[in-house]
Amino acid sequence: MNESAAITFDDVWFSYDTVRTLERVSFDVERGRFAALIGPNGAGKTTALRLLLGRLRPTRGRVLLFGSPPGRQREAVGYIPQRVTVPRGFPLTVFELVLMGRYGRLGLGRRPRRPDRDAAVHALERVGLVDLAGRYFETLSGGQQQRALIARALAGEPQLLLLDEPTAGLDPAARADFYNLCCLLQREAGLTLLAASHDIDAVAHHADRVILLNRTVLAVGSPHDVLHAPVLQEAYRFPARHHDQEHGHRAPGTAPS
Amino acid sequence: MMELLSYEFGQRALAAGVIVGLMCAVLAFFVVLRRMAFVGVGLSHAALGGVALGVITGTSPLAGAMTVSLVVAWVIGWLTRRGRLTEDTAIGVLFPTAMAFGIALMSLSATYRQDLIAYLFGSILAIRTADLQLLIVLAAATLSLLALFFKELVFMSVDEEAASAARLPVTTLRYLLLTVLAATIVASIKLVGVVLVSALLVVPAATGQLAARSMKSMLVVSVMAAEISVIAGLWLSWTWNLPSGSTIVLVSATLFLVAFVSRRRADGAP
Repeated sequence: MNESAAITFDDVWFSYDTVRTLERVSFDVERGRFAALIGPNGAGKTTALRLLLGRLRPTRGRVLLFGSPPGRQREAVGYIPQRVTVPRGFPLTVFELVLMGRYGRLGLGRRPRRPDRDAAVHALERVGLVDLAGRYFETLSGGQQQRALIARALAGEPQLLLLDEPTAGLDPAARADFYNLCCLLQREAGLTLLAASHDIDAVAHHADRVILLNRTVLAVGSPHDVLHAPVLQEAYRFPARHHDQEHGHRAPGTAPS
Repeated sequence: MMELLSYEFGQRALAAGVIVGLMCAVLAFFVVLRRMAFVGVGLSHAALGGVALGVITGTSPLAGAMTVSLVVAWVIGWLTRRGRLTEDTAIGVLFPTAMAFGIALMSLSATYRQDLIAYLFGSILAIRTADLQLLIVLAAATLSLLALFFKELVFMSVDEEAASAARLPVTTLRYLLLTVLAATIVASIKLVGVVLVSALLVVPAATGQLAARSMKSMLVVSVMAAEISVIAGLWLSWTWNLPSGSTIVLVSATLFLVAFVSRRRADGAP
């Protein structure tokens, strides 16, 4: 295992009570890479992310972020969920949401100051939402909300972004827009990205490394290698003709980008 | 009102009411944001088991309520720690259990039923000097903690996973919020009662949410709504000889209705 990698899974096993969701999971993600974690429903993708967030602890094996257990690493980590739902009518503005990205850096009990507010504004500028800073988060479109969540993550000046089905529910244009922005940030800021996704088309176009998970790691490699591996058909249980047509990597239920 | 204030018990009730209103309104902000209304209902009803235990054993009912509420709050935190059980489900199991325990204890002794009625619906006469002192200590502790960790609690309430990624101590913060909720409920029981205290943990913030345009103003309006409810409710309780819990909650609900209608008009709804 490469312990200088941004992400290391070393023979990780995890069970919810008696239900085993991960077994013998080993892979790493080098710094500066855009890796995609794909697999069918129930494959353990979200569990893997929760292990990286330190919300769960492996039953066996080691999970490391930049060589340290999650939560003890020096490097900042940003997280972008599928969606954030605030109660209807709750007056949370986009700026207030993005400013939360600074809280991890501030320390407990300390109030945001001018540099923190400037960092939040800068993050909003990077995702093109600065004009909507005063709007209520719940009034934004799905695509705009995802951009605001990217801005929140960026405000914390992270070196790693963890994304959990970040484009679920978005239309194809918003999905492409989202991943293009992620790739831009990866190149410009040298960010490492790990995205758990069902969106195989987007993965094929944007990620430079794919991890196919179905309780255990079935394949790791370039998008071309993994998405053409026979094991992909087994994992998703779809016929071979689907993923060899048109863009070369089309799975049922996913729209072409 | 002046007549009520001319009595010592009236002064104590009003002082306690102002403190309870402040505690409940600030906490209600998080109850609404985290959708914990049912947790508030559950913890307050679970406290009944503790009150009954204290009354039956001849010890302090409030100490009994505090013990049972804290135990229930922490068990909720423990059961939901991995996200395998929701807070609503956990409280759905624990709240009837603790309440059934209280009802069983109450049934064992008919002598104390009158005391228990006051704990169920609140009483303007119930606040003693020792209660007020305890209330001041609890309010100072809970409000200080909420003020100190306000931004972290808001972040955690909006997105626990992202707060974890930012290395905030999410588990500790969840237990802190549950503990403060339990303490606030116990502090409010004598004045508002077990049955109605949960209303003060939701309605003022719901009013604030309707009337305010920012999180700050929502907090301010919530506190104002709670204080008006408590002061006017106590006066109505004294004037009409009604349980203070019911009059406080009725005033609170009236303020909510006014805010709701005003908001609909402002939004141009038919």
